[in-house]
Amino acid sequence: MSIVSTVQPDLRRKRINWQKVLVIVLFAIVPLFLLMLFTYVPFAKMVQFSFHNMSYTKDKGFVGFDNYLKIFTKSEYVGAMLLSLYYMAGAVVQLALALLFASILSLEKIRGSGVYKAILFFPFLVNGIAIGYIFKYFYTRGFVLDSVLQAIGIPLESLPYWLRDQSVNNWSLVFTSVWKYCGQNMVLFIGAIASIDPTLYEAATIDGANRWQQFKAIILPGIKTVFMLNLILSITGSLSAFEPAYVVGSMGANGTATFFIKIHQMAHVSQKVGQACAMAMVLMALILLFTVAQRLFFRYVMKDSENTFNAKANKAKALW
Amino acid sequence: MKKLISLILALCLVLGMASFAAADEELPTFDQIVLGENTDLTAKIHFAYHRTDIPEKLEGYVAEFQKIYPNVEIEYELITDYAENALMRVGNTDWTIMGIPTVQKDELSKYFVPLGSLETLSGLYNFMSSWSFEGVCYGIPSTGNANGVLYNKRIFAEAGVTELPKTPDEFIAALKAVKEKTDAIPLYTNYAAGWTMGAWDAYIGVAATGKDTYMNQDLPHAKDPFADQGNGTGPYAVYKILYDAAAEGLIEDDYTTTDWEGCKPMLNNGQIAAMVLGSWAFTQMRDAEGGEHPEDVGYMAFPITIDGKQYAPAGGDYNFAINVQASYEEKLASMYYLKWLTHESGFAYSEGGVPIDKSGEYPDLYAAFDGIDMLSDADALEGEETLLSELNAESELNFNNGGNTKVQEIIEHGFNHDKEFDDIMADWNAAWSEAQAALNVEVK
Amino acid sequence: MSNVTTAVRDINRNAKMKRALIKGLEYFALLLACFIALLPIWSSFTTSFKSAEEYATTNAMTLPKNWLNFSNYAQVWTEGEMLRAFLTSASVVVVVVMVSVMMGSMLAYVLNRFRFPGNGLIRNLFMIATLIPGIAMQVTTYQIMKNLGLLNSIAGYMILMSGTDVISIYIFLQYFENLDGALDESAVLEGCTYFGVFFRILLPLTKPAIITVAVLKGVGVYNEYYSANLYLQSNSWRTISTALYSFSGPFKSSYNIICAGVLLTLIPSLVVFLLFQKQVYAGLASGSVKG
Repeated sequence: MSIVSTVQPDLRRKRINWQKVLVIVLFAIVPLFLLMLFTYVPFAKMVQFSFHNMSYTKDKGFVGFDNYLKIFTKSEYVGAMLLSLYYMAGAVVQLALALLFASILSLEKIRGSGVYKAILFFPFLVNGIAIGYIFKYFYTRGFVLDSVLQAIGIPLESLPYWLRDQSVNNWSLVFTSVWKYCGQNMVLFIGAIASIDPTLYEAATIDGANRWQQFKAIILPGIKTVFMLNLILSITGSLSAFEPAYVVGSMGANGTATFFIKIHQMAHVSQKVGQACAMAMVLMALILLFTVAQRLFFRYVMKDSENTFNAKANKAKALW
Repeated sequence: MKKLISLILALCLVLGMASFAAADEELPTFDQIVLGENTDLTAKIHFAYHRTDIPEKLEGYVAEFQKIYPNVEIEYELITDYAENALMRVGNTDWTIMGIPTVQKDELSKYFVPLGSLETLSGLYNFMSSWSFEGVCYGIPSTGNANGVLYNKRIFAEAGVTELPKTPDEFIAALKAVKEKTDAIPLYTNYAAGWTMGAWDAYIGVAATGKDTYMNQDLPHAKDPFADQGNGTGPYAVYKILYDAAAEGLIEDDYTTTDWEGCKPMLNNGQIAAMVLGSWAFTQMRDAEGGEHPEDVGYMAFPITIDGKQYAPAGGDYNFAINVQASYEEKLASMYYLKWLTHESGFAYSEGGVPIDKSGEYPDLYAAFDGIDMLSDADALEGEETLLSELNAESELNFNNGGNTKVQEIIEHGFNHDKEFDDIMADWNAAWSEAQAALNVEVK
Repeated sequence: MSNVTTAVRDINRNAKMKRALIKGLEYFALLLACFIALLPIWSSFTTSFKSAEEYATTNAMTLPKNWLNFSNYAQVWTEGEMLRAFLTSASVVVVVVMVSVMMGSMLAYVLNRFRFPGNGLIRNLFMIATLIPGIAMQVTTYQIMKNLGLLNSIAGYMILMSGTDVISIYIFLQYFENLDGALDESAVLEGCTYFGVFFRILLPLTKPAIITVAVLKGVGVYNEYYSANLYLQSNSWRTISTALYSFSGPFKSSYNIICAGVLLTLIPSLVVFLLFQKQVYAGLASGSVKG
């Protein structure tokens, strides 16, 4: 993030250009004010609250690291954190599928490729609450999914209860997330593949490379940045997973409560605001850890510029 | 000059406070309100309420009320997740009248207008103490509920259950008979809705112990309150019913996708044999759209017997309270409307509720409660008004306070057979003891 | 000789068959994926045309008897007050998109075109902000909104939605970096003010970035639930998401009616998507690829 100034300051006159100052102040003040108001002030308060034993209305004072210690000594919170492993696994599958379909749609001459692309992408635009209703209906015993599986010859008795059985229910929820984001990832990959110089393929074809070799030698390196970006995004997104369990899993019932849902319950049911803030701090620390790891990765392994980091950060914000 | 300004400021302040105090003093107490007086009152009232299912009925009330007070405008805001949202909003809202969410009792005066002394009002109305603090009432209940069990009379008869079950064992036996002899779901839990699970907490006081002091006075000081009493009573016995029903397959098959609206005609039509819900649910089940046998819907006391007697906990539903930040006219108009709702609307009766007005009439469904003691929870001891809610928060068990997940977990463990019921109760006891220790509560 | 030709022909045929097989597999995979993508939506679509009785008696995948049974839609439209929710959501989207575009482009212009003390600091402040998960701070943000008296106010919600937006600033920043500085330089030399340069010359040039921001932001705000539920509980300010959510809860409808509500909320997304498909893809790509 270098400061690029294309308009060089006029060095002959040292006089302050008031018009310039005015523009800078006027254009920057509102976004800066809002940034402080909705990001830094709440953040500072969150740090402060996390060391207090307090509810929305009462502050019982400073308690040091008590709130933090409780998080790591209670198995249910650690368990909630481990739930994100399901979402991470889902994220890997999602990226693999997205890459597969992106390659098929980009490299092969597929009739109606635009239609496929549009259909696979559309779930990304579906309202989260709507997804909740749609998938509850989808997974209900004997309803949509079961009917389809029965139609291809699987007897109902051998099917699990998709949301009730704790051996599968988190996978069912992860699937809703894959369903929503796979097409979006695919579109990103298609965009990245399209930006690869087409003459590379021609050269490769002349050299007799097959599709797989082309994929390995040209596409993968070409979209490596976008791919890594999405991988780590999905992983940090997995840490703060919330929507599937909230809307499909009846607000985290039946062992589907992710860490974020625990925070929500802590703050709004038990009203332990201090405890909830400490949990949020831990969540943030984890996310930061992954992000910094990624930053180092990009800087030293991929030798990429900071800009990529920024782009990743935007995307991250978009997903939260 | 400076002195003058500060003097003027101080004067303004004093005058302002005086006028504020005067306005409050003028406001009559609830018992002093006489309908038909002050009919030229002009005000606009925002009324926040959780009954999203009956907008027409509420509009009807407004129209009736406006026949007496034509210049009082009333706008209802019906809210789905009322409990949670009202709690976050209380103290900073333009709602004039709202149902009291689970605030701490010592904060009541910060948010709501006092309605009168507990002594006077509890002589006239039922359940006035639940939202009172230091002898002053802040809310008037919308209707009263008794807590028992909804059941389908026909299905119970078909299953050969001729006498209503009075103990947990009899109840489980009845559910088993239903499973064997009929096609009905013996006990429908409504697991997915969440709040229907928290509703089980209502039975651990009066119904499980026969003591009106249990919930607010004994429980906070009890040592291991969730331990097995050995005689089918106490909180243990309440949740054990749920655990056993889940463990024996007596509940709905796919409990994670239950549909609250869909279950109403099912009880009515005999596809469901029993549901554990307050009496407020009775009319909804009986009058459910698509239900063809309203006459089959019955109500009975919770199946726990203490020394040969059954008890039904009764209490006010949401209490209506008036926002302390409202203008004088709004407060006064709200008083009149609440008075009208309590005395003239017939709301409690039509909802199958216990009347709030002590001279009011009981609906038919309480016929089954003949010979059963209806008790409402006694108040907390002086100085301990907030103790239960603090213990609730500290232990994260949240009895009668949105603690739905802990009851859902009973079903999960029962159904999956992955944790013994006694172990769950031991965990609760441990959490309760820890909370008691953290708050320095004397354990008796 | 002829053996060789046959062999070559065989190899060719084998290769062709292999290619056809792969092609077939690819089509199969695509069709399967599309089926999975559409199935949940399709089932809601068919269910939304079923009467209450039909819903209770038929299988979820059975087609409705009457495809023109719009009664569920009518019921949802009136009882769910969907028109009001659509108007609310539309006004929020329009305002938030406009504010985001203006704020993002103005700040990006200043940061990109001027060298001044604090430039780097401001960039860093925004960059660090992206690392703090907004959803984790909802407890304290709520308190701030409460203290500002912005609860249950549509303006408050709009401010919150625009104020927590960092994406648009980044997209514009990237765009300005690729926009030749010579243009505005010469305009300034000709006596144009900086305001003039920005509004008359640069802003019109950033149309692609504006579309990108509008699409990303618009979709995000239209589908936003968490804050809308928290800050706009009043019935008169229900957005699409909160209106949809109110269909569940203790006193609400059964699935055939809910499905109609779900489908109604999808229509605007579908229309926007079909109209601006290219821009949607491009917007997404530019949001991440250009980096």
